[in-house]
Amino acid sequence: MDPGHLACSGCGSPLGLRLALKALGEKTMVVIPASCASIIVGPFPYSALKVPIVHVAFETAACSASGIRASLDMQGDEETTVVAWAGDGGTFDIGIQALSGAAERNDDFIYICSDNEAYMNTGIQRSSATPYLAWTTTTPIGNLKERPKKDIMAIMAGHHIPYAATACVAYPEDFIRKLKKAKDMKGTRFIHLLSPCPPGWRIASDETIKVARLAVETKVFPLYEIEHGEIYILTYQPRGTPVKEYLSQQGRFRQLTDEQMTTIQENVDREWNRLMGQCEGAARRGVSRLAQ
Amino acid sequence: MKRVLSGNKAVAYGVMLSRVQVISAYPITPQTTIVEELSRFCAEGELEAKFIKVESEHSAMASIIASSLTGSRSFTATSSQGLALMHEMLHWAAGGRLPLVMVNVNRALGPGWNIWMDQSDSLSQRDTGWIQLYCEDNQEVLDTIIQAFKIAERVYLPVMVVLDAFFLSHTSEIVEIPHREEVDRFLPRFEPEYRVHPKKPQAYFGMVSPDYFMEFRYKMQRGMEETVEVARSVDEEFGRQFGRTYGIVEPYRCEDADVVMVTSGTVTSTSRVVIDRLWEDGIKVGLLKVKMFRPFPMEEIKRVLKGVEKVGVIDRNISFGHGGIFAQEIRSTFCNEDKRPMVFGFVMGLGGRDVTPETIEEAIHVTLENSRPKEETHWIGLKG
Amino acid sequence: MAGKIIFKGESDLPLSPVSSGDMCWNRTGTWRYIRPKYEDKTPPCGTACPAGVDIVGFIGLLGEGKYEEAWNLIREENPFPGVCGRVCFHPCESHCNRADYDESLAINALERFVADRALDSKPRPPIRRTKKERIAVVGSGPSGLSCAYHLARMGYQTTVFEALPWAGGILRVGIPSYRLPKDILDKEIADIQAYGVEIKTKARLGEDLSFEDLGKYTAIFLATGAHVSRKLNIPGEDLKGVVSGLDFLRDINLGKKVQIRGRVAVIGGGNTAVDAARAVLRLGGSPLILYRRSRDEMPAFDEEVAGTLEEGIEIRYLTGPIAVIGHKGRVTKLECIKMELGGEDETGRKRPVPVPHSNFTTEVDTVIVAIGEEPDLTFLPEDIPVENKMVSTDNAARTSRKDVFAGGDVAHIHRTVAHAIGFGKRAAISIDCLIRKRDVNSLLQEIRVGENGTLSVAKYLSEMARRRSHHVVTFEELNVAYFEHGERNERATLAVPERVRDLREISTGLTEQQALKEAERCFSCGVCNECEVCYVFCPDLSIIIDGGTVKYRINYDYCKGCGICIAECPRNALSVEKEAR
Repeated sequence: MDPGHLACSGCGSPLGLRLALKALGEKTMVVIPASCASIIVGPFPYSALKVPIVHVAFETAACSASGIRASLDMQGDEETTVVAWAGDGGTFDIGIQALSGAAERNDDFIYICSDNEAYMNTGIQRSSATPYLAWTTTTPIGNLKERPKKDIMAIMAGHHIPYAATACVAYPEDFIRKLKKAKDMKGTRFIHLLSPCPPGWRIASDETIKVARLAVETKVFPLYEIEHGEIYILTYQPRGTPVKEYLSQQGRFRQLTDEQMTTIQENVDREWNRLMGQCEGAARRGVSRLAQ
Repeated sequence: MKRVLSGNKAVAYGVMLSRVQVISAYPITPQTTIVEELSRFCAEGELEAKFIKVESEHSAMASIIASSLTGSRSFTATSSQGLALMHEMLHWAAGGRLPLVMVNVNRALGPGWNIWMDQSDSLSQRDTGWIQLYCEDNQEVLDTIIQAFKIAERVYLPVMVVLDAFFLSHTSEIVEIPHREEVDRFLPRFEPEYRVHPKKPQAYFGMVSPDYFMEFRYKMQRGMEETVEVARSVDEEFGRQFGRTYGIVEPYRCEDADVVMVTSGTVTSTSRVVIDRLWEDGIKVGLLKVKMFRPFPMEEIKRVLKGVEKVGVIDRNISFGHGGIFAQEIRSTFCNEDKRPMVFGFVMGLGGRDVTPETIEEAIHVTLENSRPKEETHWIGLKG
Repeated sequence: MAGKIIFKGESDLPLSPVSSGDMCWNRTGTWRYIRPKYEDKTPPCGTACPAGVDIVGFIGLLGEGKYEEAWNLIREENPFPGVCGRVCFHPCESHCNRADYDESLAINALERFVADRALDSKPRPPIRRTKKERIAVVGSGPSGLSCAYHLARMGYQTTVFEALPWAGGILRVGIPSYRLPKDILDKEIADIQAYGVEIKTKARLGEDLSFEDLGKYTAIFLATGAHVSRKLNIPGEDLKGVVSGLDFLRDINLGKKVQIRGRVAVIGGGNTAVDAARAVLRLGGSPLILYRRSRDEMPAFDEEVAGTLEEGIEIRYLTGPIAVIGHKGRVTKLECIKMELGGEDETGRKRPVPVPHSNFTTEVDTVIVAIGEEPDLTFLPEDIPVENKMVSTDNAARTSRKDVFAGGDVAHIHRTVAHAIGFGKRAAISIDCLIRKRDVNSLLQEIRVGENGTLSVAKYLSEMARRRSHHVVTFEELNVAYFEHGERNERATLAVPERVRDLREISTGLTEQQALKEAERCFSCGVCNECEVCYVFCPDLSIIIDGGTVKYRINYDYCKGCGICIAECPRNALSVEKEAR
């Protein structure tokens, strides 16, 4: 990756892209649907990446990756890794059909959802990845998002793909390890990467890593893996910082009352317990882990 | 080798002989037997291809765009609702200058669900930049598919090969299946320079500003304009090798004709019978079959219809708020000519309504008996 | 790197939008309105160290296994790492930011580890004498030797005059060998001599040579220390069996056979008293410390007091002697009175006030008086002023005579080894300024370690060494997300029964494994240690690791000024400045 790209100051996405390409190496082709990334890498006739890119229509990241893989397979290419790099809109919403289709077929590529929790490229509109009670331009004050964030990992687990994992730009070694692990597998591999957006989350440009770290430490965004839809493995033990510390850092949650923050803490705790139950359940069933 | 094949099976053979490498398709009546037959070919090893059983037509087109860009000869088939769903991606495929071939089985668009013959689905896509070739019989279908790949891979624009729902797709006819080696000689392996390559770090289809977008579109239009000549020469080459040619338009008994009917698809076959009968009765009506709808072969048509007083265009489609689409195209072909024929537009056979010799004769008579059309669009065969 | 690409017309364009260049032409540096920069700052340990050692630097090198380089780095400021690593009161540890996170770093133990590792190392080849001036140093204690060492490094020929037959000053005769083995001291003195420092022993100023004899030297540094014991001024002080703490320790340290039996009362609460009591214990006596104030006012180092109590030595607080009682000219009893604390005296401590009618006597065989030391100034010419019984100096170690300097215990009330070393350095710098006609005052602020720290010779000698800003980094200014909690690695000490058998060193020091683990705990406050956090988190690939002297730099062509590097740097080694537009 070269500098000179067009990401906003402090954006988590180019950081994620850079780490991903570092982990996956030169023999990678990237599919980018409409998203911040499609602008970040630069317009025609330029490209900020040192690997080939195919820009595709918004909802077609997964099926385009399937097409490229089919073509490379017909050419006998066993080395090139096909990666789809989509945003939350292109994954949770408009792109979910193609993703579900590809995952059900277990098409062979790595799909990375770079999640900044709204349609940021078009100016901060809500997506189904936007968290409960977050402000966006289409969930303004007075009409905040009442629905919780869609559980994309549960959806992917339901497809029994070989590997799904969450990751966060503030934990680069964890992200790289997961990518390297994914690279050695075949089939549909899905990584849900949390990547803060300073303008969209209403934080200062230097707070990206700090806020991303808090998301993990407060258990709002736990770091874990799911193998074959069954085996849940926690990859980082969070400190359990109160959610309030995470929420109060961000302008998009500035309007929350104490009561709302308590509700959010309860939600987080409940989800965490459920995840722990799943991790323990897998261990108890004696389901073996794949070789690391 | 002669076999009795339905239109859909002929498609499958055409695809198999063209050594397609990636197929991506979603089932829709009346296309389903195409994908079933192709699945069988793949399973039995007759066709070495990856078949992605996608979850919608939109994904079908998106995935073959990607696979074609990556350097594999790619194919899909669909109809009506599926084609409409693909609309966004049709623009993408053409703008991406990808040599795809897609078979569309002409079927009506709902609502009310209607699975039968209607040209509105493919013609609604006429602005997308796809080459459109309409077939009259199953032999033409098979042959056109092979030709389509060759044309596409020369001009780098995608080709839609169109056949009638049920009248061709599910009707069996005798088809000569060419030998593989013959087809291989005609249509070599697809090894394009223009493709995304793992070893070349280029970005395809990134954002284009107003500074250059127009020029890309101009290039596409130029590509379309070249297609007329390319298609003609491919057809001639095909004729030399396989003994069958079709032309991009086919005039039938147009010399000395006062009136020429313009048709496409299976209506052409029915019309030939009617024309012959009328000539026996001394009525000089000619027939112009339009095979290539996009690019619209204006020069060819002007040449064939030169001096013709009246033209009756049969449309099994309608563009709401205007009229039959072939009729519009014919009218605009002559718009700036000094000598222009009167163009009578006839809409018939929508949604599978049968087009019989009687229907066609009625249209011919309207054309013959009126010096100018009474209305912009004549509806033939309407009840009540 | 391709530049901007322009197409003239449709025939130039590719078939479809395909890229043919990179984005490097887009210098996103123009987006900035704040500008990050690498700026090393001063760590609190550095500013607290009276000897001005680059603590963060030497620990960093230690952590990389570069023990000899760590040793040499310490010796840019302090030629006595082996000594200090044993006897220093380590104010660095009290200021260590890690204490706010879990426990302060065991810096003293690390310094000792480095020095012990270097026992087989030779100092770098001695510098040839490059200057013609010759300097005289009077006193071979830590202050005098530190001054001589630094002057020698600057190229001067230095001669050190020592009254006793052995060099080392208080290190030789004051501190007992269970705290400072003499072979360590010998090695470090020899290392100093290897720089061409000449030490003349048995040369007492005022007896073997006069002040006028020193006139042939370009400058004189007085570092005679404070070796005159204060007297109690109570009856019976002249009886046999009453000795000063200094004398007692000197005899032991010089290997004389000292007979100590029975009960020994040690009067005083400073390091000398405590050292004396513990020495008594090791020689078979039974010590009892009597101190006129309470535990909180005891000036002895906390560790020493803790060691004393561990060894089972009794300290009686708020007790003062009023008379020594003897029989046949030898002490037999000590009469004492209880004290209570009154108002503050001139040192700021609470004044001890005798409690009426609380006298008592206790039987003793020996009394050791260790209530303070004073300098012997009998050699000092009359025109050089004296203040509070010490040679009066300014903050550049100068006396009223421009070629006479003083430092260490003879001139200051902060009487620790580290301070002495620091003052010796100060004098060396001041002497160099005198000779080279530089204004020392204008330099003092710049070459300090931090806002209020002592001077650094490295900073004095090189511009590069002045890179660190004077801002002292606080705990709040760090980003501790990158540090796991960890316990302090403590050096092992012998068990008490083992310890008190003789004068063997009581601490065995850290193992290599412990030292490396402890070094990892160092936050490196304010000083870049190439942890790469900034590099990993820069979204704009604008941090370049070059491998030159300045290893990390920012590519200002592309840096958008997001500030993530500044916010994430665990040690606050980056600063922000406004972008000039």
